[in-house]
Amino acid sequence: MESILSKAQCRLLWMIFERGAESASQALSKWLGQEVRLTISEVELVELTVAAEVLGPPETLVAACAMSLSGPLSGQILLVFEDRSGLALVDLLMHQPVGTTASWGELEQSAAQETTNIVGCTYLNALAAHLPGKISRDSPASDELVPTPPTFLREFAGSLLEFALMEQALELDQVLLIHTSFASSSQELNLNWSLLFIPDRASLHALAAALTELETH
Amino acid sequence: MPASGSSGASGSSAIVSVAIGQWAVATAPAKIRTLLGSCVGVILHDRVARLGGLAHIVLPDSRGETDHPGKFADTAIPAMIGEIERKFQVKANGRLVAKLVGGASMFTTSGNANPVLNIGLMNQEAVERILGELRIPIMARDLGGANGRHLTLDTTSGIVAVRIPGGADYEL
Repeated sequence: MESILSKAQCRLLWMIFERGAESASQALSKWLGQEVRLTISEVELVELTVAAEVLGPPETLVAACAMSLSGPLSGQILLVFEDRSGLALVDLLMHQPVGTTASWGELEQSAAQETTNIVGCTYLNALAAHLPGKISRDSPASDELVPTPPTFLREFAGSLLEFALMEQALELDQVLLIHTSFASSSQELNLNWSLLFIPDRASLHALAAALTELETH
Repeated sequence: MPASGSSGASGSSAIVSVAIGQWAVATAPAKIRTLLGSCVGVILHDRVARLGGLAHIVLPDSRGETDHPGKFADTAIPAMIGEIERKFQVKANGRLVAKLVGGASMFTTSGNANPVLNIGLMNQEAVERILGELRIPIMARDLGGANGRHLTLDTTSGIVAVRIPGGADYEL
């Protein structure tokens, strides 16, 4: 089966999503009071079996916040934390030594959800500003990128990815996910976090059509 | 890409992992494991010959596609049975029993029916129909819900151990 996006189109997407990552870096740094940098680590069509391991060993337990997206682009945004590095987020927000928070209680979940809100919305706003024109033109004028409030989850990494990628897997043998990594200048802060944007099939087709138009102009 | 996962050696104490859209077969004392989200895991076991198989099924109907037989219920199940018969020189008729696990749905969408949720139900229906046609009885079902499942088939006993995040382990 032919790929829905070419390598060149994936590179174009990378550039678009880098804009989102830059804006999200600034917003997150301000929120945490520490310099944090988001960088796009992957924009690629991969086999399902490969995608299932993008967060590491599939049986790893992770904490995540998920937002569903609707509008010109639809799909899922996931902010995923390896457990301990996710709890470090709470320590930063509470201005306490990293390693103090030991479990995901209500307050801790709320902190993760709010962080996802900030990062996700900033990312999406920047994305919306740089989407290929055809996507915006083909959507009703009133449509904007609308995320749902984040939901907190603890799940096996592989299961989480399977849930998020299933909509694409209904039609495609290769799936697209946009993977963003986090880094901090602070040595004590190991940000084993990932931000995943997983478009649904309709958005994937819309992106492919818009990028094709961009390439021919 | 091979249609099945690694089958493991007969009599090996290996743990064979099955990825999404694949299957594996093995004999005692090997174990076969997989991690499920919304896909359905089909476990087959022959108590007499002490062997089994596990298929990680994504969709109900291949519609003639031949590239990825492990992905579809209508191709994966017959292929897995065929491999059991070929590899281990046994006749599956009348000996195999099945257990079904998975088909969870984590993300719900507002508005129209969730196609992923429907696929979970369609997978279940397809698998039950195919197993019915093959006269393979289904001994246990652990389907639906909103959590992933880590499952391990012990080919010696036929017991399926299930782990869910944040919950107690259990067996089928």
